[in-house]
Amino acid sequence: MMRLLLSNRIWLPLGLAILLAYPLVQRSQYYQHVMIMTMMAAVLSSSWNIIGGYAGYTSLGHAAFFGLGGYLVALAHNHFDWHPFISTWFLAVIVMTVALILGWISLRTHGSAFVVVTIAMVFIFRLVALNLSSITNGARGLTQPRPGWGDVQWSPDFIKVPFHYMMLVLLCLTIFASWRIRQSKFGLGLIAIREDEGKAEAVGINTMLYKVLAFGFSAYFMGVAGGIYSYFFTYIDPQFIFDVFTGVTMVLIAILGGRGTLWGPVLGAFIMEPLGNWVIGTFGGTQIHLAVFGGILLVVMLFMPQGILPTISNVVKQREKARVANAVSQ
Amino acid sequence: MLGQAVLPALTQRQSLLFCQRSFGIVTLPSTHLLIQTVILGMLVGGVYALMSSGLTLIFGVMRVINVAHGAFLILGAYCTYWLFQIAGLDPLISIALTAPVLFLLGWLVQRYVLSRLDNPERSSVLITFALAITMEGLMGTFWKTTLRSVKPEYASQVIEFATYRFPVTRLIGFSAAILVLLMLYIILQRTNLGRAIRATIQDRNAAQLVGVNVQAVSAMTFGIGIATAAAGGSLLSMIYSFNASSQTDWITRILSVIVLGGMGSLPGALVAALILGMMEQLTAVVVTLYWSPIVFYLFLFLTLIFRPQGLMGEITREKA
Repeated sequence: MMRLLLSNRIWLPLGLAILLAYPLVQRSQYYQHVMIMTMMAAVLSSSWNIIGGYAGYTSLGHAAFFGLGGYLVALAHNHFDWHPFISTWFLAVIVMTVALILGWISLRTHGSAFVVVTIAMVFIFRLVALNLSSITNGARGLTQPRPGWGDVQWSPDFIKVPFHYMMLVLLCLTIFASWRIRQSKFGLGLIAIREDEGKAEAVGINTMLYKVLAFGFSAYFMGVAGGIYSYFFTYIDPQFIFDVFTGVTMVLIAILGGRGTLWGPVLGAFIMEPLGNWVIGTFGGTQIHLAVFGGILLVVMLFMPQGILPTISNVVKQREKARVANAVSQ
Repeated sequence: MLGQAVLPALTQRQSLLFCQRSFGIVTLPSTHLLIQTVILGMLVGGVYALMSSGLTLIFGVMRVINVAHGAFLILGAYCTYWLFQIAGLDPLISIALTAPVLFLLGWLVQRYVLSRLDNPERSSVLITFALAITMEGLMGTFWKTTLRSVKPEYASQVIEFATYRFPVTRLIGFSAAILVLLMLYIILQRTNLGRAIRATIQDRNAAQLVGVNVQAVSAMTFGIGIATAAAGGSLLSMIYSFNASSQTDWITRILSVIVLGGMGSLPGALVAALILGMMEQLTAVVVTLYWSPIVFYLFLFLTLIFRPQGLMGEITREKA
């Protein structure tokens, strides 16, 4: 029974069905918005998990790629009239290329130094976006036309629905990619790097190549999500989109759910994001939500350092063991 | 000679008056301005050195990277601001009050939070980050988001020496930084606690074997590190304006300093802070004020390509 409850055979179709039906059943704009943001958090956290969870390199700077995707899409939309829903998939390749170059530099450092370098990365992107005002419009940010297709603007009641399905497609693709990587030799190599980089290298893994590729893959989905996000809000500015806090949020979500597991980041997102919205809704936009957020994370990391999913699966394994032991002794 | 109230640092407009030639966005400054800029950069660098000394010390002893250091700096700054507003206490004197409080806070954090971690090297970044945003949220709720700064009478004064200008607050900041660093040096080199700290830096297990109480040393070090943040915060409150969310900006700067200098190396932090301070000021004059912070991070990036371990760091096989 327990095993069945934990298997993907139930959860996967059920979850997908709920998410497919959600905007049709839930007509409240607010809850539709929350769901889109939740799925986006799951995308960000899952793609971060490829480098941060599998390879164990804690990057706090992935907001840089998120923001870059957002800017590229907004610029392409304004200058060439490329529709963001299509262009974001291609423009994210540029984001990935940038990430490969930056990864090649930053992944020379390890552990804490790497964390610092990735934080610096966000600040570099933010400052460039602020200062290249001829392209990025500086601190005033970029505005896009209201969402629509061709000449038709989507009506306000319906406006969130296309974004919901777009984000759902991205979420499925991200999870699928994450799953394929986890299953592949490449994924095993990344886990080997996490466990002991020196030994991984000694057994013939090209650790640098693996790490840089993982960095690039995770940046790709970040870029796509950033593109959709910038169109969703139709407005972006450097302070807002290149925010270290965005980078930290995705990491903390992954840790809450279970870092390095396939479903952990998704679970974490579906807990943290609605909770965060509730806190902001209840206490207002003051900084108290930061304190609540930080407090929760402190508690989780102190008392459940592995995250929710690994803790549950440990409990299940223990029980299974006890049951088998019981059966044997009888 | 004390000049009257003039702007503490050269403004963009003033600096242009000193310039000789300009090429596009790059402006070649006159020799006089160049020297003036280097002086300012050194003064700024000294303050950076003070702010990052505690961070690098903590990392050296317990391999914990304290991301909450920026938040502690801002807490120190707010305490200074508070004492100044309520009691009219001079920011420099208030260090004597804020340092012990922050010491105690740091001691408690190490004793009751960080010491519980199994693998501090891996999880400390995130847990201290959580601590940082908790503190930011609390400070933001308590002190609101208005930008504050402490302005004692001497805040806007400038000492002129051989035609070069020395803003008083920065001069004080620099001297205080040197003083605190000197005190740190004496503690580390001349006292028993210092010897225990250095032993722990060199080899944790061996230190424990010869009878060093590593837990107690760690808590003391963390306390001392946070106490230097009190001094740093008090200087910050005079030179810059701040609110709770400035902590992210500051932690990034001082983290860059210690990564550049080599994690855990005090002399490295000093050298890196001076270099970065000067780079920042030079860019402000040669290019524009707005690009100056970027050079800071770019320089860090470029250095890491050639020296991943930082300027004075040792190559250790650290687990990622």
